[in-house]
Amino acid sequence: MRLQGKVAVVTGGAQGIGRAIALGLGHEGAKIVVADLQAEKAKNVVDELQALGTEGHPVEVNVANESSVKRLANATFDRFGRVDILVNDAGVYLKSLIVEMSEELWDRTINVNLGGNFLCSRAFIPSMRKQKSGRIISIASGIAHYGAKEFAPYAASKAAIIGFVKALAREVGADGITVNAICPGAANTAMPRTHRTEEELMARLRSNPLGHVLEPEDFVGPILFLASDAASYITGQAINVNCGSYMI
Amino acid sequence: MSPIALITGAGGGIGGAVAHRMAAAGITVIVADFDHGAAEKVRGAIASAGGKADALSVDVTQAREVKAVVTDVEKRFGRIDVLANIAGGSFYTKRIEEFTWAEWKEVIDVNLKGTFLMCREVAPVMQKQKSGRILNTASNYGVTGSALRTPYSAAKAGIIAFTKTLAQELAPDGILVNTVAPGPTDTPRVMGKESPEARKQRWSQIPMGRTGQPEDLAEAFYFLTTPESNWITGQTFHVNGGLVTP
Repeated sequence: MRLQGKVAVVTGGAQGIGRAIALGLGHEGAKIVVADLQAEKAKNVVDELQALGTEGHPVEVNVANESSVKRLANATFDRFGRVDILVNDAGVYLKSLIVEMSEELWDRTINVNLGGNFLCSRAFIPSMRKQKSGRIISIASGIAHYGAKEFAPYAASKAAIIGFVKALAREVGADGITVNAICPGAANTAMPRTHRTEEELMARLRSNPLGHVLEPEDFVGPILFLASDAASYITGQAINVNCGSYMI
Repeated sequence: MSPIALITGAGGGIGGAVAHRMAAAGITVIVADFDHGAAEKVRGAIASAGGKADALSVDVTQAREVKAVVTDVEKRFGRIDVLANIAGGSFYTKRIEEFTWAEWKEVIDVNLKGTFLMCREVAPVMQKQKSGRILNTASNYGVTGSALRTPYSAAKAGIIAFTKTLAQELAPDGILVNTVAPGPTDTPRVMGKESPEARKQRWSQIPMGRTGQPEDLAEAFYFLTTPESNWITGQTFHVNGGLVTP
C-alpha cells in the first residue's frame, strides 16, 4: 500500500482511464475524490472504492467552469482535509474537419481539456504548496505528438497540456510538487468508440509494435510510479505509454 | 526464481545505485565494470545488505570481450532478464578543434558502441526467453547538446535513436527497450570535478530545488523492469528535477 494516508482527486474519474486510475490509486490505499460531470457514474466508482477497502467521495464537476471547480476543491477539503495527488483526466473528444468546425466545438474542446487542467491545478496548488509536497499528473495523449485528422482541437489541447505541464513544473518544483503528463496510446475505452466501428477500432488498437490492445488499467502502473516517492525527481515530463506506437 | 540483471558501469555512482535498487527488489545483479575493483566493492556491499550479486570486469568497447562475458553469464545464470547499459562518460570538456580523433572515438565507443555491442550479444538470449528488459543510459545533453562535449552529446543522442530502433526490432519477442536520461547527478565522478560555486549555480537552475542523486535514477531504472511498465517501450525517461523538459 504505497499511498496509505494520501488523498487523490481524479477528474474524469467516473469511466474509462480515469476510473481505472481512481481504482488503482485506491487499491494502494489512497482516498479518492471521484470528480466527474456524470454524477451517477462517479457514485458507482465510489462504491467500487469502498469494496476495495478505501474511501471515495463523488463530486459532480464541470472542469471548464470556475465556480464548479471551486466547489470541487471545497468538497475535497471538507471531506478529506488535504490533497496529495491531482490527476487531470477529464476531457472531451469531438470530431470535425477543420473547415467545417464550429467555434463552439473548438471552444468546448479547448476549455474542457486544457482549461480544466488550468482551473483544477490552480485550485489545488495552494494547499500542496503549504504542505511542501504534491503530485499533479495530467492525461495528455499520443495525439499531442502525431496529430489526428478530424480532431484538431483535441490534438491542440493535448499538446498544450504538455506545454502547460512543463511550465507549471518549473513554477512549483521548489515547493516539492512534481507535474507530469502521461500520453496514452489509443486504448480500449468508450471514447474512441463514439467515432469508429468496432472492427476499425480493434484493428487500430492492435497496430502497435507490441501487438497489445491497451486497456484502461494499463496506465495505472506509470501513474502509481509518478505519484510515488520514487519519482520525486521526475518533473515536467510527458511519459508515453503506448506499446511503442510512437517514440519520442 | 530470482530474475537476473546484467548492469554495466555498475561500479560507478549511478550504476552502483541501480545495482543496489534492483538487488533490494530481489533481483540477482551481475555488477559489471571496466574497473574490477569497483565492481567487487559494489558486489560486496550488496551481499552484506543481504542481496544476491556477482562481479565481473568488462570493457564494453571490445566486441570479443563483450561476447565472452555474455556467454559466460548465460552459462552460469541460465538467463538474462534485464540488461542495463550504464557504462559511459563524457571524459573531456573542450572545444571541438581540440578534440583528437582518438579522443572522439573513445567517447563514442564507450557510450554508443558499448551499448550496441552489449545489446547485440544479450538480445538473442532474451529472444530465446521471449522476454527481457533493456535499459540504456542517455543524458539530457543527448537532447539539448552541451558545449565542450560534442562526442558525448552525439553519442547520447545516438543512444536515444538506437533505443527506439531496437525497441521496434525486439517488440515481437516481448522485449522492451527504453532509455533513462539523467540530468546532472551527484556522483563521485561529477562532484570530484566540480567547484562549490559551480555546484551552487547548477542547483539554482533546477526547478525541484535540489541536485539529482544516483538513487533518483535508480528508481527510474527499476520501474522500467517492473510489470507496471509493461506497455512502455522505445521511450526516454528524463530524470533531472525539471532542468530539461523536452
